[in-house]
Amino acid sequence: MDENNLIKMELTVNGEAVSMIVKGGRRLLDFLRDDLHLTGTKEGCGEGECGSCTVHLDGQSVLACLTPMERAIGCSVLTIEGVGSPTNLHPVQAALLDEGGVQCGMCTPGMVMSALDLLERNPDPTIEEIIEGISGNLCRCTGYKKIIYGIQQAAQELQAASPAGTVKESVE
Amino acid sequence: MSTIGKSVARVDALGKVTGESRYSGDFDLPNQAYMKILFANRPHAIIKRIFTEQAEALPGVLAVFTAKDVPQNEYGLSMPDQPVLCGLGSAKPFADRVRWIGDQIALVVAETEEIAAKARDLIRVDYEDLPVLTDPLEARDNHEVLLHPDRGSNIFCHYRIRKGDVESAFAEADVIIEGEYRTPVQEHAYLQPEAGLGYIDEAGRVTVNVAGQWTHKDQEQIAHALGLPLDQVRVIYPAIGGAFGGREDMSIQIVLALAVWRLSQRGINRPVKIIWSREESILGHHKRHPYWILTRWGAKKDGKLVAAEVELVADSGGYAYTSTKVLGNATLMCTGPYDIPNVKVDAYAVYTNNMVTGAFRGFGGPQGAFAAETQMNRLAEALQMDPVEIRLKNVLREGDLLSVGTPLPKGVSMPEVIEQCAVKAGWEVLSNDRSQARAIKRSRKDAPENDRGSNLKCGMGFAAAFKNVGFSFGAPEQCWATAEIRGGAEIEEVVISHAAAEVGQGVHTVIGQAAAEAAGVTLSRVRLVTSDTTVTGDSGSVSASRMTFMAGNAVKGAVEAALGKWYAEERPAIAYYQYRAPRTTPLDPQTGKSEPNFAYGYVAEAVRVEVDTETGHIRLVDVITADDVGKAINPQQVIGQIQGAVVQAMGYTLMENFIQQDGFLQTGRFSTYLIPTVLDVPGQIDPYVLEYPDPVGPWGARGMGEMPFLPFAPAVVAAVHDATGIWFNEFPLTPERVLRGLGKLS
Repeated sequence: MDENNLIKMELTVNGEAVSMIVKGGRRLLDFLRDDLHLTGTKEGCGEGECGSCTVHLDGQSVLACLTPMERAIGCSVLTIEGVGSPTNLHPVQAALLDEGGVQCGMCTPGMVMSALDLLERNPDPTIEEIIEGISGNLCRCTGYKKIIYGIQQAAQELQAASPAGTVKESVE
Repeated sequence: MSTIGKSVARVDALGKVTGESRYSGDFDLPNQAYMKILFANRPHAIIKRIFTEQAEALPGVLAVFTAKDVPQNEYGLSMPDQPVLCGLGSAKPFADRVRWIGDQIALVVAETEEIAAKARDLIRVDYEDLPVLTDPLEARDNHEVLLHPDRGSNIFCHYRIRKGDVESAFAEADVIIEGEYRTPVQEHAYLQPEAGLGYIDEAGRVTVNVAGQWTHKDQEQIAHALGLPLDQVRVIYPAIGGAFGGREDMSIQIVLALAVWRLSQRGINRPVKIIWSREESILGHHKRHPYWILTRWGAKKDGKLVAAEVELVADSGGYAYTSTKVLGNATLMCTGPYDIPNVKVDAYAVYTNNMVTGAFRGFGGPQGAFAAETQMNRLAEALQMDPVEIRLKNVLREGDLLSVGTPLPKGVSMPEVIEQCAVKAGWEVLSNDRSQARAIKRSRKDAPENDRGSNLKCGMGFAAAFKNVGFSFGAPEQCWATAEIRGGAEIEEVVISHAAAEVGQGVHTVIGQAAAEAAGVTLSRVRLVTSDTTVTGDSGSVSASRMTFMAGNAVKGAVEAALGKWYAEERPAIAYYQYRAPRTTPLDPQTGKSEPNFAYGYVAEAVRVEVDTETGHIRLVDVITADDVGKAINPQQVIGQIQGAVVQAMGYTLMENFIQQDGFLQTGRFSTYLIPTVLDVPGQIDPYVLEYPDPVGPWGARGMGEMPFLPFAPAVVAAVHDATGIWFNEFPLTPERVLRGLGKLS
C-alpha cells in the first residue's frame, strides 16, 4: 500500500453502489459520516457501549464505531437514511414518533436499526424480547418505556399488515 | 379546537426518526479546519512554560493558541473566576494555574483532526505541582493552600438561615434525629458529546453553531472573552442531543469562537470544526455537586416538627460555575416542604481540585431532598408513625411560612400531592377532617410479609419534594418572543421567533402549541424560527424547569399583542414581547429571609423495591410518582419527562458510581461509568399527572422537568430500610455498598 493508505471502498450503501478511493484504516462510522456525509449514524461513545452507531452490514446489526471500514468492502450497508422516507416512514419510525419515544433524538437512529434487526429475526416479540433487542442502545432522555411500547406497536402493525411479510419489504 | 392539553406530535420528531436532523457535530463547511484541545490532565499546578514550537512546525497545523491569545481571559456564570485558557501572557491574575484536570491549556487548529491531535501531543508544558485538595471539609478549613490566591479562603459562598431559636426548641423536643449524609457526583451522560462549527458569517460576525442551553449567555461570554461587541458575535443552536444542565456552562463555545476569530485576524478565513470524544466530554464539562450534609431535626411525640439544624458543604471543584445558585436551592430545600418554626442552616460552597461542579437536573434539590426526606422517614421510625402521616402533619399549606420567612406563592398543592400519591401506592385515608392532617395508615394487604427463609426482601418507601420553577433569589427573570401574523382576510401563518434551546425536553412543540392556542389557529399554521441570536430575543436558559412557563407566557403575550395589530389591519402584524416573571429576592446574609421563587412544582413518590441480600442487588419493582404540573400542555411529553427523570434518578441512586481519586478521574467512559440501560428500568413506572393550576403559569402550567428526580433517592433508601432494617446515608446503592451495609463484606 502507499504512504497515505489509500484504499478503494466498493460496496452498496442504502441500495446504491458506492465506489471511492479514500484513506483507509478508519472506522466504518468515519467512512459513513465523513466520506459519504451520512450523518444520521451517530457517535455517542466510540467504544461500543451506547449503540447510537448501529447500522446493518449484510443484514446483520453491527456497531459502526467498532467495525473497520475495510470490513464493509463488497458488502451491503443499511443506515437510518435508507429506512423509510419522510413521506413514507417505516412503521418503527412512525411508532416511535407517535408514541413519544423521541426526545433529543440522538439514540433514535440506533434504536430504529436495532428494532428493525429484532423484528426481522422475531416478528412477534414479547416485551422481554423487545427489551433484550434494544439492550445495547443507551437512551438518557426517555426512560425507555415509550420506546419499548413504540416497538411493540410497530410489531403489531407489521404483523397485521402482512403476517408472512418481512421487514425488508418496507425498507427503501 | 384547543391545542393546549393535547398530545400533539413533536415538531422535531420527523427529522429525528429519519436521521435528517442535524446536531452541531453533523455540519461541515467547505475548506474547514479541525481543532483539538490540550487539557491539563493534572489537578493543581502552576504553569511555568508552554512549548508550542514543535506543534506549530508540524505540517498541516494552522495555529496553536494559548492564554496570551485571549483578550479577556476569564469566564464564569456566577463569577469570572475561570481562565478561558490557563497559561502565561494574559492579564488575568493567577491564570497560570490549573485547578482541575479538565482545565484547557492550548488549542490546535489543523487541516485534519488527526494532525491536530498529533500536534496537541507535541505540546510540552512545564508545571510546578501544588498540593491537591480533594476533601471539601478539609479544603474549607485550609488557609495555606488557596485554590484562588486572590481570595482569602477556599469558601466562596456561605448562606445562612436563622429562624426562631433552634437550641431552645431542641430542648423541648421529645425525639431528636441526627444524620450525616453524603450525596454523590453524577455525570450528565447526554448522548451527544460536545461539538461545534465556528465561522465568520456573511455579515462578518464570529459565529458558532453549537449545543448549549442559553444562546444569549453563550454570546455574552464569548463577546466578553474576545473583547467584541455583542452584535459581532452570533450563536446558533441546531438539534441538541440532551443537556440536563450539562450544557449550561462553557465547554467549547468560547475557544471555538476564539480560534475562528484569531485565524481570521491572520487572514485565514476558514471554518473550524471540533467534536469531543466521550472521554473528552466526561473530562471537560462540569458534574453534579456532591454534598456533605450534617443535620439534626427535633419533633414532639405527636410528630410535630419543632426544629431543624443543617450544615451543608458543597464540593464545588476548581471553579464556581453555578455553585452559588445550586447552594441557594439546597439551602431552601434541605428542610423539605414542611412547616418548621425554628430553623438554622449554614451552607458552604468550597473550592477543591476535584471535577468542577455545576447545574444538573434538580440543581441542589436532590441533595437537599435526600437529607430532608431521610430525616422525616427516620423520625417516623423513631416515633413509630406512618411516613405519610408525619408528612401530612407538617406539610406546608397555603399561607404557611418557608424556612426563609415568607409564604409559598399561591397554588400550594403539596398536601394533595402527598395524599394522592399515597393512596395510589396502597395507603388508606382514615379521617375526613380537612383542617387537620388526615390519619393515614398503609394498608396491610399490600405489604407482603418477608419470607424469613428467602434472601429476597421487599420494602416500600415514600418521599415528597417541592421544586422551584424559574431562577431564584433575585436573579433577573425574563423571556422574549416575537410573533408575526401573516395573511389577508384570514390568518394564514403565525411565525414565532424564539431563542429557547430544544434539548429534547419538547419546548419547541410547547411553543408551537402556545402560539396556536393564543392565535386561535391549528398547529399546522405555526412556523418556528429558533435559537439564533441574530433573529431571536433573549429567552433565558432551559434550566430551572422554567422554559414552558416563561416561553408559554412570552408567546401568549407576543401573539396577543400581534393580534391587536392584526385587528387594526396591519399586515403582517408583528409584535415583540418580553415576559417578566414576578420578582424574587436574595437571601438576607444574616437571616436568610427572602422571597426565593415565584412558582413551584410539587411531587411525591412511593417506591417498592426487592433487595437480594445475597448479591446486594436492588430491583425496582414499582415507582408511583404523583406530579402536580399545573397544566399538562402536552400530556405525552409530560409523561416522557417524568419517566426520563425517574430513570435518570434511578441511575443516580443505584448505578452511577463516579470515581475520582487525588483529583484524577477513574470512570471516564461509558464502560466504567454505567448509566441505566433498558434492562435496568423499574418494572413499573406509574406517573400520576395532577393539575392544580398555577395562578401565574401559562394556562395554569408549572414547570416539571426536574421535580420527579428529587424524591427518588430518599424514597429508595426508605424502601431499602423497610426491607432490610438498614439506613443508608450514602449512595449509589451499588451491590457492594448494600452488602457492606448488611455486614456481609469485611
